[in-house]
Amino acid sequence: MLHESLWQQNADITQRCLEHAFVRGLADGTLDRDVFGQYVAQDTFFLRAFLKAYALAAAKCDDVESVRIFHELMTGVLEELKLHESYSTKLNIDLDHVKPYLATSAYTNFLLRVAWRGSLAEVMAAMVPCMRLYAHIGSELTTSLRPEHPYEDWIKTYSGDEFRQLCARLESLLDEVASDCPAVRDAYCYAMQCELNFFSAPLENHE
Amino acid sequence: MSLGEFEESPLVAGTGRLWREAAEAVFLSAIRGGNLPREGFQRWLVQDYSFAKGLVMFPAIAVAKTPWPVQNFLIGRLGALVAELDWFEQNAQRQALDLNAALHPTCRRYVDCLIVSVYTQPFEVLLDILYGVEVSYLCAWSALEASGPYAEFINRWSNVHFMACARFSMFASGTRTSYRKNSSTRSCDTSETSGA
Repeated sequence: MLHESLWQQNADITQRCLEHAFVRGLADGTLDRDVFGQYVAQDTFFLRAFLKAYALAAAKCDDVESVRIFHELMTGVLEELKLHESYSTKLNIDLDHVKPYLATSAYTNFLLRVAWRGSLAEVMAAMVPCMRLYAHIGSELTTSLRPEHPYEDWIKTYSGDEFRQLCARLESLLDEVASDCPAVRDAYCYAMQCELNFFSAPLENHE
Repeated sequence: MSLGEFEESPLVAGTGRLWREAAEAVFLSAIRGGNLPREGFQRWLVQDYSFAKGLVMFPAIAVAKTPWPVQNFLIGRLGALVAELDWFEQNAQRQALDLNAALHPTCRRYVDCLIVSVYTQPFEVLLDILYGVEVSYLCAWSALEASGPYAEFINRWSNVHFMACARFSMFASGTRTSYRKNSSTRSCDTSETSGA
């Protein structure tokens, strides 16, 4: 299946994400709270763009069933944004005036450029990595959970059945509409690289 | 149920005689008078399905052109449209209707106008357009007595849920001014305007 082939082709980036200092800090709970707060703010900015890309993908569909799937995916993003809003109070961050890091705007501009100008297959190839990678990281990090783990909510959100099912629906739709071609492979690979950079940015920008 | 809040809204009042002409359309008068043939209603129903299907693209693209948090409202409208299409398909199956019938020129013009608008107009205008689509539909059906062969449809399109959608649409349309006033305080955000 195409989605599995794309995932395997980018296994090296997945491994680098799992070994990344940010992700290791999330796993063992040692990640600086301010760094996490900055990450949440950047992710909020990103997710609001991600919502737009899903909406544009829905607009490219000819059948109601695909539109329904994208609507469910958008509803899932709204749930993620609620999680982020809950963090904003605890971490004292302003989610409505986020100045995006270069890594963040590179990612959102790429996504929206593909969503406005690209085919449905390219848009989906650009969006699947975020879902699959987070489901994978969430699943890997469940073994690190312990009582009063500071990032328990984050890990449970992305390792949960609901998130995994949304990811599977998106991957299944990708298999239906896309073929294994350079544009699809490039979009997938670039999005994976953007994900890796996204983890680095809060650490690099932390003073 | 009072329609006054909608009919007295500035956008509706601004349409002048067009609003009255739409409310008194021959199709609606025939339903009111109990003399609309079943086949005529079914032809309209098929076109209304095609219209709703064409309209799906409108809230979807509007989400991508609209700043947070108004997107929430548009995502809700997209979900409601998908649910409405489900209902149409179930209803069509019961009545053995062919939903793939060719678009009537009027339906085509309406859908084309909406699709062109969603690509070319700023989000403030899109919210006004969506409000116009919803409120005209709600008011037209709400002005009919829910009895006779079309009671099921009149009830569906004039019910409290539909009214709440139109009210929310009016609210979203009304918020555009306050957003514009506040927009100068927002951070530089290229993704908010990409493609718009």
